[in-house]
Amino acid sequence: MRESIAGKYVGSTVTRVEDKRLLIGEGRYVDDVVVDDMLHAAFVRSTMPHALVTGLRVEAARRHPGVHAVITGAEMQAYTNPFVSPFMMANLYTPYYWPLAIERVRLVGDPIAIVVADSRAIAEDAIGLIEVDYEPLPTVATLHEALDASIAPIWPKAKSNVLMHQTHTFGDVDDVFSAADNVFSETFTAHRQSNQPMETRGCVADVSGDEVVFHANTQSSHMLRWMLAAVTSRERGLTSLRGLRAQSDKLKALGAGAKAFVTANEDELSKSDSSGMPYLVRKDPSILRHLNRITANLLAQDLSSVPRVVADDIGGAFGVKGHPGREDAAVLAAALQLGRSIKWIEDRNEHLMVSGHSREEEYRISVAVDDDGTIRGLKASLLMDNGAYPAMPFSAPTFSNIIKVMLPGAYKWDAYELDVRITASNKCQVVAYRGPWANETWVRERMLDVVARKLGMTPEALRLKNLHGPADLPAKMISGPTLDPLMTARTTLERALEAVDIDAFRVEQAEALAQGRYLGIGFATYHEAAPGPSDFADAVRPGSKPALNETIRTTVDPDGMVNVYTSQMPHGQSHETTYAQVAADELGVPMEQIRVVFGDTSQTPFSLLGTGGSRGGPMGGGATTYASRDLRRQILDEASKMLEANVDDLAIVDGNVHVAGVPARGLSLADVAASVASTPGAAPLVGTVDYDGGDVGWVQATHVAKVEVDLDTGFVKILQYLVAEDCGAVINPAVVEGQVRGGVAQGVGAVLYERATYDADANFQAGTFMDYLIPTSMEIPDIDIIHIETPNTITANFRGVGEGGMIGSPPTLTNAIEDALGPLGVKIREQHLPPTRILELAGVIAVE
Amino acid sequence: MSPNTPSSGFEPVEPGQTAAIEMTVNGQRCSIDVEPRSTLAEVLRTNLGLTGTHLGCEHGVCGACTVIVDGAPVRSCLMLGVQAHGTQVLTIEGLAPAPGEMHPIQRAFSDKLGFQCAFCAPGFLMTTWALLESNPEPTRVEITEALSGNLCRCTGYRSIIDSVEHAVQITTGRAAGSGAAPSQETDSHA
Repeated sequence: MRESIAGKYVGSTVTRVEDKRLLIGEGRYVDDVVVDDMLHAAFVRSTMPHALVTGLRVEAARRHPGVHAVITGAEMQAYTNPFVSPFMMANLYTPYYWPLAIERVRLVGDPIAIVVADSRAIAEDAIGLIEVDYEPLPTVATLHEALDASIAPIWPKAKSNVLMHQTHTFGDVDDVFSAADNVFSETFTAHRQSNQPMETRGCVADVSGDEVVFHANTQSSHMLRWMLAAVTSRERGLTSLRGLRAQSDKLKALGAGAKAFVTANEDELSKSDSSGMPYLVRKDPSILRHLNRITANLLAQDLSSVPRVVADDIGGAFGVKGHPGREDAAVLAAALQLGRSIKWIEDRNEHLMVSGHSREEEYRISVAVDDDGTIRGLKASLLMDNGAYPAMPFSAPTFSNIIKVMLPGAYKWDAYELDVRITASNKCQVVAYRGPWANETWVRERMLDVVARKLGMTPEALRLKNLHGPADLPAKMISGPTLDPLMTARTTLERALEAVDIDAFRVEQAEALAQGRYLGIGFATYHEAAPGPSDFADAVRPGSKPALNETIRTTVDPDGMVNVYTSQMPHGQSHETTYAQVAADELGVPMEQIRVVFGDTSQTPFSLLGTGGSRGGPMGGGATTYASRDLRRQILDEASKMLEANVDDLAIVDGNVHVAGVPARGLSLADVAASVASTPGAAPLVGTVDYDGGDVGWVQATHVAKVEVDLDTGFVKILQYLVAEDCGAVINPAVVEGQVRGGVAQGVGAVLYERATYDADANFQAGTFMDYLIPTSMEIPDIDIIHIETPNTITANFRGVGEGGMIGSPPTLTNAIEDALGPLGVKIREQHLPPTRILELAGVIAVE
Repeated sequence: MSPNTPSSGFEPVEPGQTAAIEMTVNGQRCSIDVEPRSTLAEVLRTNLGLTGTHLGCEHGVCGACTVIVDGAPVRSCLMLGVQAHGTQVLTIEGLAPAPGEMHPIQRAFSDKLGFQCAFCAPGFLMTTWALLESNPEPTRVEITEALSGNLCRCTGYRSIIDSVEHAVQITTGRAAGSGAAPSQETDSHA
């Protein structure tokens, strides 16, 4: 139940705590970190997309003044372990690989050696002195080349460039398809896009003190910590049984997670192959040797040699900084080996080339539909590129599991099948980029427009006919998860249609067409598990739910300051403000009395997750609510003893604990904390929760765009953009709206400007911001937002908004553009529509 | 905004040597030895420890490194430190009138929650400073155009433009000029 609390802050646009330092130039981003006697690193990178390295001459670089070391891949192999993906899946070959390439390079930018010098400039000078001999190998530059069995596998032990093939079936697809009046089929292609936060990746490995401190701009400091430990702890860690004992809590947590997974998957695991492990070991038995060594090293690790990861201010990420980098491991390994602290700051060219790309996918999709517009069956075949090295700890195979669940959307289907093939290529790794599964919405909403047109219906009529709504909820998605009665995807569509006055627009559109102007309208409706119902995680991967919980710890300092410790890792989402709003309201103290503590693994609760997946609001905000309540109860218990009053009669108002109505006889939080501290044997005041998302369900929205396409220039002008969303209770309206608008802006960029281009031989072509076009203030339209919240009694009804903007905007824009160019018979089957492509599709210029 | 040429008294140096430069940064005179190849951004960040200026792309596109040199906005990643010899430089650290205070532009961005990750903030704030110096009451269209050389990946720009309009209100006591919605008639990338 939602309890009555002094709702002073939640729901208000409160100015940001973060801005007190960020606006005056006193933020501390990773490149601002300076430690004693720090050296600087740069990487020698492959200039070839796929080749054997037949020669590597580094002596001249080693002799260069100011250079401390040049470490090759083979040299570093001797004191590191490979990256091994913790996410194995049925029929998936996921290769292990080393921090630096050895013998073979698999993409342009593959790191071959690390140069450590007095400055970054000297390290780059030395790179110019290094000679690499290559023997070129055939390349895989496209999804379809990956299917070509005549091209040798990039990972020879996989015996194919198709690394995974799975089919997921729900209902009797054949029956449904043969019974339906019509079956329509299309192929949709999405292009490579890239997160491109304004701050690149970077790290400082500080080995100058008693403990190793790794400063990084990571979205998940604990996960980075243990991934670094796994890769860099070879042998060095076999020193202490004390270390093993010191980690018992973590081992217990890991053990509990493993047990939950095994329990949930007992049937599956008893079959061969379902865990993925037997399949992988059959393909490459050597993985067992590495796994055993990593496990032994980690278990025996002296905790003091496991790096403490510290993250401070982060200049954006959008997913890419959730993946531990090979460079991170190489920098730490080099620092440990040399006994010198090292900083590495990626440059923009590297960031564009190797940090991470996303969404290069092709869908062949068929929809079975009756003449009256009742949709029956959905069948899709997905080809998904995973690049050269699978990103750690998860990449396309994991995203495909979410696509599997979300592709049907909130529509009523009788049967559904998704066939997934994950392919390797000589291109950049595929990372999480703001809704990494988002193409499910693009493909579904694009296809619904196609179906509507074929049936002679309007797109909105087809959607309204088939969307689940209040009348038939609760229901189940055909892919498993529950659509609860508060699910409002349909409502967002209805509200959006009202707001844009679609009938008036159709008239305006017809009038414009008569004058030779091409106007169009498009929309898209989606929902997202942020946090999602309790059966969502198991639909994605059975047994995964316990690992998705969020822990928050709250304490009171002797001076009365309340600390909110979180494993969330803010990088623009304003956690320090929003969690303080939530905690201050729950505790009845001024916001200034709340401090949000994040980023330092020595202080924050253990979690292998961090900030991502639109979890910050729903999971972190929810956990802050409960951990604050827990702390409040403890404060009141103590105060009731001190005041000799019944605990039920006590209140906390403006930080004053007192008998309700008698504020004069009050205590400060400092008084209470001091009392506890001075009581021998008293347990400290610590609130905590392991929060599972409770009854908070889906977040949902409908986006609408009106566009005008100029056939002289190919330019798409966005006349109006509207988002009607239901994200439950809003903690801070300006923060929520900023997330929504920022997401939409990235979708606008993806459709109209951005593309991580490769040539036909897999050479990267978008190495600067003059090639990879981030939209400016001139390209992003005003984005209006309608907020809907269904009355409810849910505690902490916060739903995530980080990813939705980017999920909804590509289908909305592409639908609008096809609607505009419909009179010319233009069909939009691709996602990237820069001006030249618009002109090609409209027949204004010849296709290249 | 061509960078100033070194003033007289600047001695050429041999490869491997440092150059002695003098400049006034945020009102303070400083004499420093810099590598001739160091950019102004590197000099500010590394030699002077003024890390409020950020490097986003190092090829002059993103604008995060924008600082004011002799009154004009400059991409400090494209200007060498030695080229700043004899100049007056203003960075984000020098905007506020006193420690613990904020410049009206900074206050406006705080009031309107203009930024998210704020890595681009130094560039936007300095560009805004230069805009308001030359045009104290810009219209919304003028603001949108003036900021189009600075990239922000988080916000979609609306909150930034709102912040600049708010800064105009704070500094002039009036609402910003009544401009229409931002023009989209040209594709600035094409």
